[in-house]
Amino acid sequence: MRAWIRRSFRNRVFVTMLLGTLAVLLLCGGLMMWFQVARSEASLAREAGQQLTELEQALDAFQSDCRRMLQEMAESTVVHSALRRGGGNSRTLYQVLFRTTEHLRDYARFDVYDSRGQCRYTTAASAGRELDTGWGLLRAAGETGDTVFRTGTDGGLTAALAVRDFSGAVQGYVTATVEQGGFERLFGGLYTTTSEVLLLDGVWRAAYYSRPAQTDATVKALRDQLLDGRPLTGQEGEYRFFALKQRDGELTLLLQQPRAFSSLVLGAIYLAGGLMGALCLALSLLCAWVLSRHLSQPVHQLDEAMGEVEKGNFDVHLETGRADELGRLASSFNRMTEEYRLNLERSVQRQKELNEAKLRMMQAQLNPHFLYNTLDAVKWLGVTHQVPQVAGLATDLAAILRASISGDELVTLERELELVERYVDIQSIRFADRFACEIDVADRYQSCLVPKLALQPLVENAILHGVADKDDGYVKVWAEEKDGDLLLYVSDNGRGIPQEILDRLNSEDQELPGGHLGLGNVDSIIRLYFGPGYGLTAQAGPDGGSRVELRLPVRRKEGDGAEGFDC
Amino acid sequence: MRRLAALLAALLLLTGCGGWDENGWDAFIPAEEERLVIYTSHPASVYDPIVKEFEERTGVWVLVETGGSGELLDRLEAEKDAPRCDLLFGGGGDSLTAQKELFAPYVSPLAEEIIPDFLCGDGSWTPFSSLPVVLIYNPVLVRTNPPEGWESLLDPVWRGRIALADPAVSGLSFTAVSTLLQVLPGDGTLEAFHRNLDGRTLSGLSEVVDEVADAVAEGSCTIGITAESAALEAIQAGRDVALVYPREGTSAAADGMAVISGCAHEENARRFIDFALGGDVQRHLIRTCQRRSVRRELYSPELEPETDGLVLIDYDLEKAAGMRDWLLSVWQSLEEEP
Repeated sequence: MRAWIRRSFRNRVFVTMLLGTLAVLLLCGGLMMWFQVARSEASLAREAGQQLTELEQALDAFQSDCRRMLQEMAESTVVHSALRRGGGNSRTLYQVLFRTTEHLRDYARFDVYDSRGQCRYTTAASAGRELDTGWGLLRAAGETGDTVFRTGTDGGLTAALAVRDFSGAVQGYVTATVEQGGFERLFGGLYTTTSEVLLLDGVWRAAYYSRPAQTDATVKALRDQLLDGRPLTGQEGEYRFFALKQRDGELTLLLQQPRAFSSLVLGAIYLAGGLMGALCLALSLLCAWVLSRHLSQPVHQLDEAMGEVEKGNFDVHLETGRADELGRLASSFNRMTEEYRLNLERSVQRQKELNEAKLRMMQAQLNPHFLYNTLDAVKWLGVTHQVPQVAGLATDLAAILRASISGDELVTLERELELVERYVDIQSIRFADRFACEIDVADRYQSCLVPKLALQPLVENAILHGVADKDDGYVKVWAEEKDGDLLLYVSDNGRGIPQEILDRLNSEDQELPGGHLGLGNVDSIIRLYFGPGYGLTAQAGPDGGSRVELRLPVRRKEGDGAEGFDC
Repeated sequence: MRRLAALLAALLLLTGCGGWDENGWDAFIPAEEERLVIYTSHPASVYDPIVKEFEERTGVWVLVETGGSGELLDRLEAEKDAPRCDLLFGGGGDSLTAQKELFAPYVSPLAEEIIPDFLCGDGSWTPFSSLPVVLIYNPVLVRTNPPEGWESLLDPVWRGRIALADPAVSGLSFTAVSTLLQVLPGDGTLEAFHRNLDGRTLSGLSEVVDEVADAVAEGSCTIGITAESAALEAIQAGRDVALVYPREGTSAAADGMAVISGCAHEENARRFIDFALGGDVQRHLIRTCQRRSVRRELYSPELEPETDGLVLIDYDLEKAAGMRDWLLSVWQSLEEEP
C-alpha cells in the first residue's frame, strides 16, 4: 500500500484527499450524533430534576399536613377520652376524625389504635386490624414523641403518633396510611406519563411505585445495583433513574425515565450512522478520485512530456489553459524545449557552415598550385627573355606562396628566415633598394620551431609602415635566448608606431586599426599555440622607429634534418 | 489544537455532559459499615419482616440471598477464602455444627436468656428458633389409619407417597432423617426408608412456600415430613394438611445463625444476632411465624402453638453433626442405585 502511495503523485493526492475528507465527514457526523444524543439526554435530565422537585414539594406538604393532623388528633380530648374509656362515644370520635382529616382523606386512611395495638376507629370502610405494639410502626411511635413514617411490608407509607396522657404513658396511637391509590392521587400530574415514580425509605424499601406489579423486582434490582456500585438501570436495563433525597426526611424519590434512545432506537441511529459513514466513504472516494485527477493531470502531462524530451522529441508542446503555478510551469517547459530546439538547430547550422568552410578551403587550396605553376612559367619566361628580375620575383613569390599553402603549422626558424629573405628581395625590387635588411640570427637558433609566416608579417610591417618613405631605411632581424625563451626582434628606423597602436598591441587587444592587422594575427597565433605567457610586444626603438619582440618557447625540430617544401 | 479543545469544551458545556450523572449516586451508596449480607434458608415470610425491622432500627442495609441450607453451606464453603456473606441465617444446628470451621464463634450477651439445651457449646453458631420435626398428611386423601410415627415411614403402604425435601439441600430434611435414625437405630432403617420414598425427593429449593406441605396439600404426596411451623402455617392457611407429632417422640433442634469467618461486616452480623435473640423478634416469631422461641421466658406452654402429643426425644446434635457427611454420601449412593 505504502509503495503504491509513493509510486505516483496522483496516488499521494488521492490518499491525502480521501483521508482529509473522510476524517472531516466522519468527525462531523459522529459529533453531530453524539451532540444530539447528549442534548436530548441532558434535556430529559433537566426535566427529571424539575419533576422531582415538584414531587418532593407535594410529598413534603403532605407529610407536614399529616403531622399537623395527627398532632391535632393526639391532642383531641375526644380521642383521649375514647381511648381511656375503651369503647366510648364512637359517634363523636368519628365526627372529630372525619372533620380533622377532611383535606387528606382523599389520600390517606386514618386509624386510631388503643394501647394494645387493637384498631378502634378507622376512616376505612373495612374493619381495622391488630398491630404488634412491640414491633414495627407502633413500637417506633411509642419510643418517640414525634410522628414516625414507616413503609409497609407490601408498600404504602404509614405515619404514626403515640397518644399520651398527662404522665406521658401511651394511651393509644393515631396513624395515617397512604396506599397505592393515595399516592397516585398525590403525585398525579406532577410527572410525565412516560416516567414512573418510586418512593423509597432510608434503606430503599418501596413505599410506592407507579407500576405496582413490578415493585418487588424493580426495587430489588435497584438495591442490588446501588449496593454493588453499578449504574442504576432498573430491572430491564432500559431506564434511567434520577433520585432526590428529602432535605428533612428519610425518604427518597426516584424518577424512572425511559432512555431517550432505547437500545433499539440507538441501534437504528448507529445503523443510520454506519450507512452515513459508508455514504461518506463513497463520496470521499469519488471526490478524492476526481480532485486527484484534476490536480495531478498537469504534473502527469509534464512528466510525460519530459519523458518525450528525454527520448529526443523536442516537438512536444503542453496545451494548458491554466494561469496558476502549474500553468506557468507548463509554459516554462514549452519555452525551455523551444529554446533547446532552437539551440540545437543553430549548432547544427554552424556545423554545416563549418563543413562548408572546410570544403571551400580545400577548394581554395587548389588555386595556389595553378598560381605556383604560372609563376614558374613566368620565371622561365624571364630567364628565356633574360629579364633576371622577373625570374627572381617569380621564384621568390612562388616560394612564399608555396610556404603559405603548405600543411605544416610550425617550421624551423631557418626556413622562416629564408622566406623573410625572399620577401625582402621582392620588396627591394619594389622599393628600388631604398632600405637594407639585416638578418642576424645565430646558427644555434636556426633549428628552433616557429609558427609558419610569423616573422614575415613583422618584416612587412616594418617595411610598409616603417621605412617605406625613407631613403636609408634599415630593418634588422635578430634572435636572443632569455629565461629559456626564444626572443625574436624586428626593429626599424622608420616612422615608428603611433602610441595608441602600441598601447593596444601591448594590451593584447585584438582589434587593431587597418594596416596593423598582421601584428595582431601573429600575436593571436603565438598565444594560441603556446599559451598566454607568449606573444608579441612592440615598443618604440631607442633611436626612432620601432622594435617588435616575439617571445616563443625554445623548441627544436626532432631529427635535425633539412626540411623541404611540399610540392 | 487549543482552539479545537476549547470548541469541544464548549460543546460539552452546551450538552450538559459535565453533569452527566447529576444525581451523584455516590451520595446514596451506603458506607461499608452500614451494610450486611445475609444468606438465609428461611422463607421470605419469616426473614423479611425481621430484616425490615432490623433495617429500620439500625439503618443498616441488608442484602439477602436465599437458598436451601445445605446449598448455602456449599456456597459458603466455596467462598470461604473471600466470603461475600456476613451471616448465615437459618439451617439446622446439626448441619451448622458439621461445618463450624466456616464460622467465627460469637457468644451473644443475650445467651444467658436462652435455654441452654439449644446453645452450641463453643458459640460457633447461635440458636434462633426451635423447629420440631413433624409428620403431616392430607386428611382428604387419608381418611383412615393416618401415619402415627417414624415407624409408619417404613410402612410399604406409603411407598412412593412420602414428601421429603432433599436432605443434601434442606437442613430440616437432614434433621428429619437423623431423627429417624436416632429413633429407630438399626442397620436397615436408612435403606428401608429410602426404598419407601421410591426415588422421590423434592428439590428443597423453594423459597416462598414449604414444598412438603405444598405437595401434601396438593395431593401429589399423601404424607410428608416437615417442620412444625410449616405444617401450622399450612393448616392456618386452610389447606388440606393435618399434623401428627410422631408417637415415638421427635427432635426439636434449633435452627441457627452464624457469623461467617473473615467476613466484611462482622460487627453488623453480631448486631443482627443480638437483635434476633431479643424479645421483640422472638415474640414476633411466636405471633406470626408459628415458631417456637429459644428464649427461656417465652418457652412456656401457654405461648406455644398447639402442642397436643408433642414428645421430645433427647436428640443428639453432636452425633447427628458427626454423621452428616456419612449420611449424605450413603444417601447419594442410594439415589444413584437403579
